[in-house]
Amino acid sequence: MQQLRVDRQSPSGFRGRDVSSAWKHIDIVLLVATGLILLFGLVMVYSATRRFPGGTGILLRQALFVVIGIVAMAGVSLVDYRRIADWWQIIYGLSMLVLAGVLSPLGSLGAFGTKGWYAFGPVVFQPVEIAKLGTVLAVAAYLGSAERVDLRRLATALLLFGVPMGLTMLQPDLGSALVFIVVGMGMLVVGGVRVRHLAVLVILGVVAVFGILQSSALDQYQKDRLTAFANPDGVSAKARYNIDQAQTAISSGGLTGYGLGKGPSTRLGYVPAQQTDFIFTVAGEEFGFVGSGLLLILFAIVIWRIWRAAQLAADSMGTLLCIGVMSMFLFHIFENVGMNLGIMPVTGIPLPLVSQGGSAVVASCIALGLVQSVHMHRYS
Amino acid sequence: MDTDSTHVRLSAIGIVAISLFLALFMRLWFLQGIDRQAFEAASVSNRVRVIHEEGPRGRILDRNGKILVDSETSIVVSLDREPLRKMKESERNTVFVSLADTLQQLGVPTKLSLIEKRFADLRYAPQEYVPIADDVDPSVEIYLMERAERYPGIIVERKAIRSYPYGNLAAHLLGYVGEINEKELVERGGKLPGSESPATTAPSASAPTTTAGTGSAKGSTASDSGARVTDYRLGDSIGKGGVERSYEADLRAVPGERTIEVNAKGDLVDVLSLESPVVGDDIWLTIDIDLQAHAERLLAAKIQDLRGRRDKQNNRLNAPQGSVVIEDPQNGQILAMASYPDYDPSVTVNGISQEQWAAFNDPNSGLPLVNWALQGAYAPGSTFKLYTAFAGYNSGYLNGGTEVVNDPGVYTIENCKGDKCEVRNAGSTPHGTVNMARALTVSSDVYFYKLADKFWNLTDQYGPTPIQDAAAEFGLGSKTEIPLAGENPGRLPTPASRKAAFEARPDLFMTGDWRSGDNINTSIGQGDVLATPLQLVNSYATFANGGTRYQPQIVTKVTRPRDLTLPANDPANYELIRQVEPVVQGTVQIQPDQYGKIYDGLLGVTQSAYGTAAASWQASKTAWPMAGKTGTAQVSKKADTSLFAAWGPAGTGVPAQYAISVVIPESGFGGEVAAPLAFRIMAPLSFGALLPACPTSDQDACAAAAEQAASASGNDVTSGAPD
Repeated sequence: MQQLRVDRQSPSGFRGRDVSSAWKHIDIVLLVATGLILLFGLVMVYSATRRFPGGTGILLRQALFVVIGIVAMAGVSLVDYRRIADWWQIIYGLSMLVLAGVLSPLGSLGAFGTKGWYAFGPVVFQPVEIAKLGTVLAVAAYLGSAERVDLRRLATALLLFGVPMGLTMLQPDLGSALVFIVVGMGMLVVGGVRVRHLAVLVILGVVAVFGILQSSALDQYQKDRLTAFANPDGVSAKARYNIDQAQTAISSGGLTGYGLGKGPSTRLGYVPAQQTDFIFTVAGEEFGFVGSGLLLILFAIVIWRIWRAAQLAADSMGTLLCIGVMSMFLFHIFENVGMNLGIMPVTGIPLPLVSQGGSAVVASCIALGLVQSVHMHRYS
Repeated sequence: MDTDSTHVRLSAIGIVAISLFLALFMRLWFLQGIDRQAFEAASVSNRVRVIHEEGPRGRILDRNGKILVDSETSIVVSLDREPLRKMKESERNTVFVSLADTLQQLGVPTKLSLIEKRFADLRYAPQEYVPIADDVDPSVEIYLMERAERYPGIIVERKAIRSYPYGNLAAHLLGYVGEINEKELVERGGKLPGSESPATTAPSASAPTTTAGTGSAKGSTASDSGARVTDYRLGDSIGKGGVERSYEADLRAVPGERTIEVNAKGDLVDVLSLESPVVGDDIWLTIDIDLQAHAERLLAAKIQDLRGRRDKQNNRLNAPQGSVVIEDPQNGQILAMASYPDYDPSVTVNGISQEQWAAFNDPNSGLPLVNWALQGAYAPGSTFKLYTAFAGYNSGYLNGGTEVVNDPGVYTIENCKGDKCEVRNAGSTPHGTVNMARALTVSSDVYFYKLADKFWNLTDQYGPTPIQDAAAEFGLGSKTEIPLAGENPGRLPTPASRKAAFEARPDLFMTGDWRSGDNINTSIGQGDVLATPLQLVNSYATFANGGTRYQPQIVTKVTRPRDLTLPANDPANYELIRQVEPVVQGTVQIQPDQYGKIYDGLLGVTQSAYGTAAASWQASKTAWPMAGKTGTAQVSKKADTSLFAAWGPAGTGVPAQYAISVVIPESGFGGEVAAPLAFRIMAPLSFGALLPACPTSDQDACAAAAEQAASASGNDVTSGAPD
């Protein structure tokens, strides 16, 4: 009896230094919301892939990645983010190397002739997901260590964003390139960049976006998909098809949806890329406004908790790290759900924690692990 | 880093985040809460297809329930040329070679050259399926459908097709079925499917052509006969002529609908609802197929014998066509309607080819598709005298002691100047003193010339058109309203119509005036008068029954069969939908004594020694006396049209059972050609010795049995030998 009591009391004696003390400050709300979204995601991947001959395999794979992601999240959250940030140059350098390498013959050709993957036998790896994290970490560490953001630091930070953005443009992966812009904006806003510098940056950012849209770096299919949202009648039937089918599926779900496995569009495979980019249509069709609204609320909770972690962070590095992850999540969610709902252009952006795809799930989990780390280690 | 500033900036980002989520929620609610119905409809039309399926048409039976037109299912292998055209030539050839080999092995001899020829055949519309093998075994269907991926563009369809157990018999009357054309479709309110390929008549699993369904994809109810008329699609069958056309609404099956769910690739996933087509109703004709067969056989034999002979003026007897119509005078039912030449309706079953169509419409072929009995209009000649006689009495002119006339064989028109004032009897034969009965019996033209001349001179008293008015009462000059398309109204010229015709085209006519000579010509059915064989028989039937003019009918009833495998004529096996009742179109008021005088004259035609048809009646006597009138109409530069219209049994107090008209142009005298043929047709009918018609399937056995029966009874009823 006595022995037990001593054991129970023991953590308090090691406050701040012991691993278990960090657990005390874990953000349970964020953790639960993350877990629920992952679970929701698995259910939807199941529904979207069950009609495929290898559907069970896809589901099991995804479940495995979810487990890996949770383990990675736990691992990352237990390590003080400052210890990780100490390594930011190496992490950033390596992630850029891997991102650049995908353009070499080592990378695999993906859909529409884009190069964004490594394929090692059955294992497919998308380096841009790691690159996003590496960049967020690097910028947070670089700007967070500074007293104030002068032009030199701003320029360096912009370069840190510019390199991966340029590399993803070369793939070309327009959606991911946009992620770097948005994450960069978010982090620079919070990072203390002067208002007039920000204003210039916003103008440059707008010019950059239009430049991307007009440039020859985009293939016609990309332009089609992008303009389809703004100009529904002026695009090819094929480009419209994605949008129409997604909206049809979501809308016909109504208030409560058809029920799991019963959505006609899902069941009969009318929505292309439904287990990945258009997975929100499964929630919309089979669980209706109630289910898909709940998913959005869970995401809102995640965003709120990350934002809260940013506020509570012990230092500006922690704040910036959280804001980077938050910007990334926010853009992913808004762009992905927005294109499913027909209010955003179609780009290949996965829904975090939900879309089928190992790299994205694991990277998202690690990102949330970093946020947890900021939250857990705020008193140390 | 300024803490306050950081807080402001964090708040700003928080507000951005909240706005973005609000935007998503609002859009989500708009789609799922507000705009749902529109998208739900889109979802249904995405995945639900309604396949239109035609069912077998109803059968056409004769008055005794013998099946004249049947429906059977034929499995047809066809080419869908759209996908085939998109293939590379080498790929396509591989498919064709493989198909030819496979069909050969499955016992359907099919040459590769035929497939290639059909593929390039321009007679079919680009989206139309081109048949390459008809009526194949179900095993072929199964084999090809199981290997559909190996035979892209090869369609196996089940089609309900028409079959004709009696071959050519009554072909004109029955009509035929063909694919609906765009005009017919629009007339029936059907949908023209834009650029899409037409719906297949019967779907096959390999490539059903479909139309997107609406939300509530429920078809029309079976009992709604209106649906039969309106729910047509391109590619459906429709009656193109004869009974098939007139009774389309009854014969057509209520189309079925298969509502299926397809996935994104278009593969069938589930059958949501299945509404089988409902077989069409059976039509019972007034026709007795045995009588029809008998009439057609004798008519054909007569015409074939006539052809090549010459008359006394050395005119060639071409006999290009001929018709026989037999009607029941008590109700207007048509018992037989023969038109020569005829055609084999089975050539229409898979669509009439262009060559066939051209052959049918080549004037040298005798236009076999034409039903001369109602589409042919001829100068009626002396058969017209019935109406002139009635006009004489009806006007009152003959009541004034003017009934007896001296007929020296020639009549001089009153108040006439010039060299064309004399009109003559045929051969200028004098008939001496004749009254009405005698005038009809011997066919005195002079008698009627005088009557017509008097009428024209006394228009103040009798009006300008007493003869035409009388003929019109018997139905001449207007359609009989027989429920068949294409009926010729004939022509009944009047001074007014002559004037109108002249004023319309002064270049075509010498004068617009009506003169004595016109009245005289009209009185004996010459000049501009034209009548159809159907009008002729119906007018004599009208006289025979005492003056009631019925609308000629070709259908007795419409029934809905319970079981197609059981005998069609078993009353337990059908439900009566509709009974066709006689329709009285008019009544001719004839005073009994006047009726008697005309009747005596017409009876004398066959019964008196002087009658124009007496000899031929003696040669093939009917069981009872017949009354009627011969006609020999002159046609310029051609041999005479031979006509005979009559009825039997004739006799006071005996109801007439049959009226008959026989018309053969370019064939000679009515008393020598048409009348004998009529008696030969009527004789076995009157004796009740009519032989059953032979279905084509057992033609030989049936004909042998008929011959045996004929020799046993001693009646040479099957012989078609000329007089």
